[in-house]
Amino acid sequence: MADPARTGSRAALPLLAPATLLVVIMLLGPLALAARFSLNRFDPTQIMVAALTPANYARFFTDPFYRDVLVTTLRVSAVVTVACLLFGLPMAWRLARSSSRFKSVWLMLIILPLFIGAVTRTSGWMILFARGGMLDIVLTRLFHTRPIDLMFTEDAVIAGIVSINLPFTVLALQSVFEGIDPRLEEAAASMGAAPARAFRRVVLPLALPGVLIAALLCFILCMNAFATPVLLGGPRFHMMAPLIYWEFTNNNNWPFAAALAFILMATTLTLSGVANLLIPRRYRMGRGR
Amino acid sequence: MHRLKVPRRTLLGGAALLAAPSIIRPARAAERCVVGTWGGDYARLLRENIDDPILKPQGVEVVQDIGDEAPRFAKLVAQKMLPRGSMDIACFGAPNGFRAGQAGLLEKLDRAKAPNLKNISDFLWNDYFVPHIYSTQVIAFNPQTVSDPPKNFGDLLDPKWKGKVGVVTTAGFWLMMAAALYASGNPDDFDKAKPLILKLNDNGLHLYPETDNLAPAFKSGEIEVGMIWFARTVMWQNAGFPVQGRYPSEGSILYVSGMAVPKNAPDKDTTWKYVDAMLEPSAQQGFAAHMGYLPTVTDAKLTGKIAEQLAFPNPKPKLVQPDYAYTTKVQAEMQDWWDKNVQHG
Repeated sequence: MADPARTGSRAALPLLAPATLLVVIMLLGPLALAARFSLNRFDPTQIMVAALTPANYARFFTDPFYRDVLVTTLRVSAVVTVACLLFGLPMAWRLARSSSRFKSVWLMLIILPLFIGAVTRTSGWMILFARGGMLDIVLTRLFHTRPIDLMFTEDAVIAGIVSINLPFTVLALQSVFEGIDPRLEEAAASMGAAPARAFRRVVLPLALPGVLIAALLCFILCMNAFATPVLLGGPRFHMMAPLIYWEFTNNNNWPFAAALAFILMATTLTLSGVANLLIPRRYRMGRGR
Repeated sequence: MHRLKVPRRTLLGGAALLAAPSIIRPARAAERCVVGTWGGDYARLLRENIDDPILKPQGVEVVQDIGDEAPRFAKLVAQKMLPRGSMDIACFGAPNGFRAGQAGLLEKLDRAKAPNLKNISDFLWNDYFVPHIYSTQVIAFNPQTVSDPPKNFGDLLDPKWKGKVGVVTTAGFWLMMAAALYASGNPDDFDKAKPLILKLNDNGLHLYPETDNLAPAFKSGEIEVGMIWFARTVMWQNAGFPVQGRYPSEGSILYVSGMAVPKNAPDKDTTWKYVDAMLEPSAQQGFAAHMGYLPTVTDAKLTGKIAEQLAFPNPKPKLVQPDYAYTTKVQAEMQDWWDKNVQHG
């Protein structure tokens, strides 16, 4: 008699094949091509000369300018992730435990900003932050302060990315809290735990793998942020994704741009893996159920 | 089970009807010319001054392939081996036009194929690159707040302009040329330019990502002086912004924008028609009137307000063209220096 598990996996093959093929062609194909490009040599007139050189990677790691850009990207991503968790956790928790008939309205209000593109929302921040913009007018006219320059600062970039990533974080966290049985908190309360303690000792450990996913989602989105750093950060502020674009399009340096892309991807993947290791073993994903 | 029955003839007839639009096409132009160009005002003015009034009556349909200059150059390189490329005309600034010519990507210009080529001003002639419009680099200032504008690049370093000088970061390479011209009389002497640029940066230099960011910065009072193309100051004046241009005493670097014919342009005959059309006096006058760029041909005389606005002061300032062969070699290195020391400095 045929092994049902083997029959099942054989039956799954035709279902999995189209998606797998698509991923291989659309994702791995260009990645392989970019990996090859990253080993080529730049030439001002030919753009790229075939070679097998690690020079583009060496240029990144030996030049403090490029290392600084990576550090800035990591710093902004970390701050944005922490801010999104700080703002997102209470919102998601309140939303998950709400039995109000307006719950769907609150949820809709969180989803609504996702209907507007990141560039459009960032343009709104530009109007708010610009010299002579709304914030500047309010502060100078009402409080008689000196004109403030918020545009083209790291703070402006962080505010802009938090506004874009927050709905993603809240939605991811809300689904995590929805999956935790409220009776567990009731049980904790019946044993004398105050709500804050019940949250810290019972809910949070159970939610930790989901919180990690939400944090990773936010972190990865920020590591690859493009429009907000360009529009709100201005020419003096550098993050990795705009730098890759700049090298690729403006300087036509395809080999170096490809190397930068791989360095960014490797850094993000490594940190995501390390983040999972930081969570106590018993709370890690796939365990404890 | 009920099956829907459709007679075969009806089915074939329906299919034919559906396919009809692709078979019976609306009458289209006999010739097609694909122009790789920048978007915005430039693309609109190409349509209004060249495509519609000159080429359409000749039966030439112009299709604009809009994008930035560097990706366009990359596209030409990538298509080098193809017998037929995707562009008939590629728009470039002179440095990239020269670079493309050097890379063997362009057709040599032939006066016999486009008669208007003979009218190009001698000082702008290049064997592979058709100069379309040009402008000069000037010191821009706000006439409402600045009564004694800087006379040369050196004056911009004066501490009285601290935090009041603004430039466009994408024009960093050109600003380095201006500094070199001031320091040594040679726009390519970048070693002399670097200390001046660093000093300017230390003096609270404002950097803007795009050229169009400068006009609102002048209006809001964020900056009072800067360096930009004279054409832009004229455009902004006409749009009501408080900006005026002054030629630096050491001379003015030329920015030439133009077009080139790729070696593998799909339709060469049409391409030369386009080259000829863009050098027509009416087309050149149209660009001057709306964009403030100077004509590159000798037979396009300007009149009225625009002639007054674009007239050179007396005595005529020294106009300086970069050595494009040299800039091609060092541009990537200088851009790298600018990114690290000025943008990140």
